[in-house]
Amino acid sequence: MTGLSRPVELVCPAGTPAALRAAVDAGADSVYLGFRDETNARNFPGLNFSRDELATGLAYAHERGTKVFVAINTFPRAGAPELWHKAVDDAARLKVDAVIMADLGLCDYTARHHPELRLHLSVQASASSAEAIRFYHEAFGIRRAILPRVLMVPEIADLSARVPVEMEVFIFGGLCVMAEGRCSLSSYATGKSPNMNGACSPASHVRYTEKGDKVVSQLGEFTINTFGAGEPAGYPTLCKGRFEANGRLSYLFEEPTSLNTLSILPQLIAAGVTSFKIEGRQRGRAYVTNVVKAFRLAVDAISRGETPPDIDLDGITEGGRQTSGAYERSWQ
Amino acid sequence: MSNPRTERSRPVDPPFSPILLAGMALGPVPPRFLQPLFDAILAVVRRRHPDILDRLTAYPDAVIGIDPVDLPFVLLLEPKPDRPRLTVYRDFADLPVTAVIRGPLAMLIALGEGRLDGDAVFFSRQLVIEGDTEVIVALRNAVDGAGIDMEADFAATVGPLARPLLQAARVGGWLFRRLADDMALVRQALVGPALKSADAQAARLNELEGEIVTLRRSLRQREQRT
Repeated sequence: MTGLSRPVELVCPAGTPAALRAAVDAGADSVYLGFRDETNARNFPGLNFSRDELATGLAYAHERGTKVFVAINTFPRAGAPELWHKAVDDAARLKVDAVIMADLGLCDYTARHHPELRLHLSVQASASSAEAIRFYHEAFGIRRAILPRVLMVPEIADLSARVPVEMEVFIFGGLCVMAEGRCSLSSYATGKSPNMNGACSPASHVRYTEKGDKVVSQLGEFTINTFGAGEPAGYPTLCKGRFEANGRLSYLFEEPTSLNTLSILPQLIAAGVTSFKIEGRQRGRAYVTNVVKAFRLAVDAISRGETPPDIDLDGITEGGRQTSGAYERSWQ
Repeated sequence: MSNPRTERSRPVDPPFSPILLAGMALGPVPPRFLQPLFDAILAVVRRRHPDILDRLTAYPDAVIGIDPVDLPFVLLLEPKPDRPRLTVYRDFADLPVTAVIRGPLAMLIALGEGRLDGDAVFFSRQLVIEGDTEVIVALRNAVDGAGIDMEADFAATVGPLARPLLQAARVGGWLFRRLADDMALVRQALVGPALKSADAQAARLNELEGEIVTLRRSLRQREQRT
């Protein structure tokens, strides 16, 4: 292998100030986070940043050469965009390095009121074609697109040749197999929209019940899964539920599995990807430290022209299993 | 609580460890004698990590049960912003808990210090949560986000005595780990053969399940052809 002609950026999650410090210390090039409200797609209880915490976190990161991006990537409620506008205004005032968003109106607001603020297109926009990405670039000046987790590596390479923006892909963490930003499964089960309220399968509607040596997971009124003795459990999203259909019990859409692309990072770089994103703002700082360190080692090895090391991340994956997802579509 | 578990139960097996032995020794001690220790711990949390209670302000009426399964008592955390309480009880009987988190003490401490990932230990079934998941998630995020370092908290609390006490604690920690290793060896000697036999049976069961899946598939294919 030969070394990289350009550096690849490692973009890491932070749900709390402690996780931000953990990500920076573990070698993140950039950290992404959200405000403590429904303007971001990880609006989980006890998670996220106040304005003061963001200011402190920004200082910590910038002193160490790490950038900070703020996700304002839910879709504003009709007729009530003020909370989202304030989030953009505050992010600009605090001088974050970029904002990540999906809503057309919010992109327009940001481009008009804060033309100096760097715009990244969230995965929530589900922009998977060159035409869509070019539109966001030409209309609002987006500089980077975070690609939905449905594209194969050759499709990413094709996109790369046809769009004038940087491309970011998810390389590790929870997998969303639906059309992101458009999925209504959680809304159907709980009345809360991940795209507007900021939480897929909100914890307020989740229940785990111990029944003997089994554990039953529920979302709202729906039983999502029953895990047998010793079987790894998962978070009860409808898309990763185990249901009975035609007399068979199976995962109808997707098994509880984590994305892990350690083995295909060089192919992703060759396809034109400029930044690698780690999912998991809702996870703890131990997760952040372990995953960021692992991918820092891998990216640095690739930069030196070496093969990335095989690092065991089984212990922190959902369901104890890993997949390279749509990038390789190994199931086909 | 929608699904109360009001009696002390053991959905998580306590590990065979020095903590379990210490718990047995503590068994006869009435919980009220332990209460001053937990009052002191809460006072340190309020002084050094006020952000924990700040992140729990949305749950002023929550009553969170914490069950260290290797100790003979449980804790009740009430994160009321103006008057938080951490109370020790023998068990949860008749207590109106909103949610409960159960796990071995060492694991709960590691989670508190951010050395373990809460999702990972929960998904691997080493930790059990019951009741209001939202409250537990909020507590997990609040504690994880505080960046707790127990050694630093301890040092800041005891002031000039910090250095000798920390040195004593380190020696104690070394002895604890030695004892834990020895106990793990004893456990291995006692249950190792039985575990090997169970593993072999589980492997055979997996094989049989695989064969059943294959047979069902071929049966379905045959049915579709006819």
